[in-house]
Amino acid sequence: MIINHPLLGPRDAAEFVYLGDASLIDRPDWQDEDAMDQFHAYGYLRDNPAGEHKELWYHEQGDRSWLVVTRNTLTHEITNVEIARDVARARGRDK
Amino acid sequence: MSRLSRPTLLIQKGSVFVAEYTLIAEPPLAGYDETFGDMRLVAPADFALVSIALPLGREDKALKAIKTGYGVDLPEVGESILSKDGKVRLLRMAQDQAFVMFTHSKPDAAQVVSKKIKDSAYVTDQTDVWTALHLSGPSSRRALERICPIDLDTEAFAEGHVARTVMEHLGVVILRDAADSFVLLSASSSAGSFLHAVETSIHNVT
Repeated sequence: MIINHPLLGPRDAAEFVYLGDASLIDRPDWQDEDAMDQFHAYGYLRDNPAGEHKELWYHEQGDRSWLVVTRNTLTHEITNVEIARDVARARGRDK
Repeated sequence: MSRLSRPTLLIQKGSVFVAEYTLIAEPPLAGYDETFGDMRLVAPADFALVSIALPLGREDKALKAIKTGYGVDLPEVGESILSKDGKVRLLRMAQDQAFVMFTHSKPDAAQVVSKKIKDSAYVTDQTDVWTALHLSGPSSRRALERICPIDLDTEAFAEGHVARTVMEHLGVVILRDAADSFVLLSASSSAGSFLHAVETSIHNVT
C-alpha cells in the first residue's frame, strides 16, 4: 500500500504506524455537563464502516507527521491524505 | 562505541574533591574508507549534525534568523541547501524540523549552531546519535536502489533532495549531494548492521 504524503509524495505504508479513527482529534471538553458520557464514547465507541474511513497514521520512519488518511476499508483505496495538524486547526484547535 | 576520557579538573562534591571527566564520543565507523569497483564508501571524519526545531508561534522569527545566519532560506521539506559560504548544509526534515550538517571536530556543535541562529529555535546536538556514510561513484544509485524504497531517479530525487526512510529495517536519512553521490545517516547504536547492509547491497552490483 502506498500513502501519498502531502509534503513528501508517495511513500510505502511500511514507513507508517496506524493509530485508529480520526475522530480521536475531537477530544471532548472535560468541563461539559455530560463529560463522562462523552469521554466514554471518545475512548471506547467506534464506527466500523464498510467503505470510506478517516483514520490517523503516523509517519514514524519519515518526517514524524500525523496524517488523516481517507481509506476505503473494502478496497484499501486511499482517496485523500491530509496533515492532521491542518485538519485539527481547521476544526478550531489553536495548536 | 569507544570513548576517550580524561580527567580535566577537580571539582568539590560535599567534603571531597573528585576528578571531573570530559567524555569525548568517537564515531562508531571512524576511519572507514573502502573502494568497491567504481564506488567509494567513506565514513566522513569530524561529522557534526545538529537538529533545529522551530518554536510554535515563533516560526517566522526563527526562519529569519536562519536566513541571516547562513545566508540562505531554509528549503522546503524534502530538500536541502548549502549555506552561502558552502560550508554548512541545511536539511529540511519536517515542517518544524531541520538538520544542520557540517564538519566540526569539537564537541560543541549545538552551541555553534545556536549562536549562528541567535537562539531563535530549539537546538539539539545529534552528532553522537547518528552515524554517516558517504557513497559515491557511477554505480552508487544501482547499489542503493536495492535497499532504498525511495525512487532515486534524478527526476524524482534530484541533487539536494533528502528523505527519511527505512533500509533493511533501519531508519535511514538519505541525501543526494551530487549526481552520483549520496550521504546516508543511520542510528549510531546499530552502525555495524547499517554498514553491513550497505556493503552487502554494494557487493550485489560489483
